[in-house]
Amino acid sequence: MRRELGMFIALVCLCFGLWMTNHDFLGASNAINLTRQISMLGVFAIGISFVIITGGIDLSIGSVIGLTGVLIAKLSGQYYPENPAAGGLGYSLWVGIPVALGVSALIGLAQGLLITRLRLQPFIVTLGGMLLLRGVSQTIVRGGTLSLGDIPLTGLANGGLFGSPDTPLLPYPFLILVAVALVAGYLLHFTVFGRYVYAIGGNRDASEYSGIPVQRVETMTYVISSLSGGIAGICYAAYIGQMSQQVGIAYELYAIAAAVLGGVSLRGGEGTVVGSIIGACIMRVIDNGINMFQWAYRDETGAPRIFRLDNNWTFIIIGGVILIAVILDQLAHLFQTRRRTQGTAKETG
Amino acid sequence: MATASEPPSPLLEMRSITKRFPGVIALGGVSLHLSRGEVLALTGENGAGKSTLIKILGGAVRPDAGEILVDGVPLRFASVRDARKAGIALIHQELMLAPNLDVAGNIFLGNEDRRLGLMSLLRRKTMREAAAALLKRVGLARSPDEPVSSLTVGEMQMVEIAKALALEARIIIMDEPTSSLTAGESAKLFEIIEKLRADGIAVVYISHRMEEVLALADRITVLRDGRPAGDLTRAEATHERIVSLMVGREMSADYFPARPTSGVSSEVVLSVQNLVVPGAPGPVTFNAHRGEILGFAGLVGSGRTELMEAIFGATPAVGGSMQLEGRPFLPKSPRDAIRRGVCLAPEDRKRHGLVLPMSVAQNTSLPSVHGYAHYGVLDRAQERRVAEAEVARFAVKTPSIDRPVVNLSGGNQQKVVLGKWLAISPKILILDEPTRGIDVGAKAEIYRHMARLAEQGLTILMVSSEMEEVLGMSDRVVVMCRRRIEGVLPRAGLTAERVAQLMTAPIEHAEAV
Repeated sequence: MRRELGMFIALVCLCFGLWMTNHDFLGASNAINLTRQISMLGVFAIGISFVIITGGIDLSIGSVIGLTGVLIAKLSGQYYPENPAAGGLGYSLWVGIPVALGVSALIGLAQGLLITRLRLQPFIVTLGGMLLLRGVSQTIVRGGTLSLGDIPLTGLANGGLFGSPDTPLLPYPFLILVAVALVAGYLLHFTVFGRYVYAIGGNRDASEYSGIPVQRVETMTYVISSLSGGIAGICYAAYIGQMSQQVGIAYELYAIAAAVLGGVSLRGGEGTVVGSIIGACIMRVIDNGINMFQWAYRDETGAPRIFRLDNNWTFIIIGGVILIAVILDQLAHLFQTRRRTQGTAKETG
Repeated sequence: MATASEPPSPLLEMRSITKRFPGVIALGGVSLHLSRGEVLALTGENGAGKSTLIKILGGAVRPDAGEILVDGVPLRFASVRDARKAGIALIHQELMLAPNLDVAGNIFLGNEDRRLGLMSLLRRKTMREAAAALLKRVGLARSPDEPVSSLTVGEMQMVEIAKALALEARIIIMDEPTSSLTAGESAKLFEIIEKLRADGIAVVYISHRMEEVLALADRITVLRDGRPAGDLTRAEATHERIVSLMVGREMSADYFPARPTSGVSSEVVLSVQNLVVPGAPGPVTFNAHRGEILGFAGLVGSGRTELMEAIFGATPAVGGSMQLEGRPFLPKSPRDAIRRGVCLAPEDRKRHGLVLPMSVAQNTSLPSVHGYAHYGVLDRAQERRVAEAEVARFAVKTPSIDRPVVNLSGGNQQKVVLGKWLAISPKILILDEPTRGIDVGAKAEIYRHMARLAEQGLTILMVSSEMEEVLGMSDRVVVMCRRRIEGVLPRAGLTAERVAQLMTAPIEHAEAV
């Protein structure tokens, strides 16, 4: 938990710093929008954490988000008789949501089975999945956009409980994140399944030799990862109100980065649900902070000016933050290992 | 520096080499000398220090004391590169070839023409021609362009020798070179060694196989427990003399717990019939009785671990049958075996036995935790009770059951492995090298636990490469050699010599050449 605590403190400092430069950062509209963004990223960052903790990787999650968003838009989006290609088929959400989530779970199952039964590399299987699913989305939208139109789903992403309709105190995506986090936290930290996830990431061979159903557990982590992508995909579709093939591109990298920032180790065996959420917060706060950051100063003539960050720096800053975080983590790790070997040398020597 | 009055200095001299590892003295003052064109056989039991000695000679390990002289000049090897520069090439038992590269590429790997550093052009043509000449010298009728993955193990061995010759090595060390060769391939290797000898190249030949040692070597140096046990010339050496030098040591009587001499129960718990282990030349058959410690002796590579992994289902057997308590038993995975109460405490604890970053409690409960979960939900209280009970049973020294096992000593880690299996009340416990890497005090403790568990009716299959352990703990001993069972010896009349004779048995029923 030390890593989580450290990142939480970093997050609080970051937020405080941004608020100092620009009080609008915590203003109702920005804060609520930021919460929505954090929540949606948090959902699939938690999902991908299961895979990463077993020592695997899921690159297809961004494409799963895109595909489920497109599916829900196609199935349950408003039907426009005059231009059917611009909207959906108008089926009930009771059809659209189960189908979209079902498809995402099946994608995870298929990838998981390929990885565990055929012993294929997770990287290459999910890379293939990422490209293939992106292509499927493109085919469905035919290169255009699908509008959801006026259906109840759009209220899901933009509404919430309490407060005014425009600035709800508890946006629905946040409630979804809380629900996902509770279920995931329960699975990971309180069930035998969760114990096995950590054991496999910590030592696959020893897990196998201890009689753990390694293949089944690993397959399930891919199902969980994809399913979390499906949930996030529906949220994104609702949030944006229309789906194009662009939605979800590179989100797998955001999810991996969030998980790693929150203390999930790519070596496997380490990570928590809380950590992944904190990681998602940091990613989105930085993203948002680049827009919000401003510094008032007077130039040499004494005229008041405001310094803002160039939007083009977004990736430079995010990349830098990730590298700094993993470097610090690795240094701490090396330090611990050194202390441990010195400890045993003293005991035995 | 040699003066005119002294005899010419030998090609290689190692003087009082000492090497300590945490808790053990691997080598205590071993000396060795070697002349041009001489074949020196280095032999001894597993753990006698042979590997450490050649690793020091090959520059992979640095000695704590002692010196190495080549042509009378003292040298310090900081790395394998230094040793190679001095003309010493080491051929590992596990061949170190890149299977994805071709023969020529392997022969010159690390020894390419690098006048311009790493950016030098790879001179494939020159390399191919030089490789062809070297292949001719070692008598390998293969093209330098063939990928190494298409060669047989024997041919790879030849490539390794060609690689040593490409370095212009004057001393070639071969570590158990015939361990994975067929009889025909071995014969070919011996021809090449004769050729090398004629060219004035000195060979250090490490082997347990008496017939090879006796046939090849000009001199034989025997190590025992990291100390020189004897030096024999070819004329003096016999199979019996070498074996007695290898094992000749006093047994400490009270080190091992007293075992009942009345003989164990006649009830057969595990019956193994004509079991074919993948890669083995033939089937094996044996019985294990209730409450028995059945020892498995043999040299490294004699197929004991593979047999145990077949019984445990980790690499399922490809033929034959087993009965566990009278019912058919043929596990396809460790999971199957564990369900039937057959458990394995593996040789490599850190790799196969424990999840190192996890706590003592979590490791202990790993195979049993699903058993007391409620609809898949962990019962942490019960988990802790189970772990506490096992920690108490084996007297594991740990400040808390929440401590990661990575922080425990080897002996305590082994106790956690034992505890994790005892928590599921097994019928058969397989212990592969139960005391490897464990210090002397903890060893005695593990032995006491083993004896007590056997008394309580647990059947223990113990693979061990330590003669003392085999003799001190086993009710009966199965001796394996070249993946066959050479004999099953009862406790009465068991001697180190009899076991050693069987485990170094000459090839009499060997495969046709």
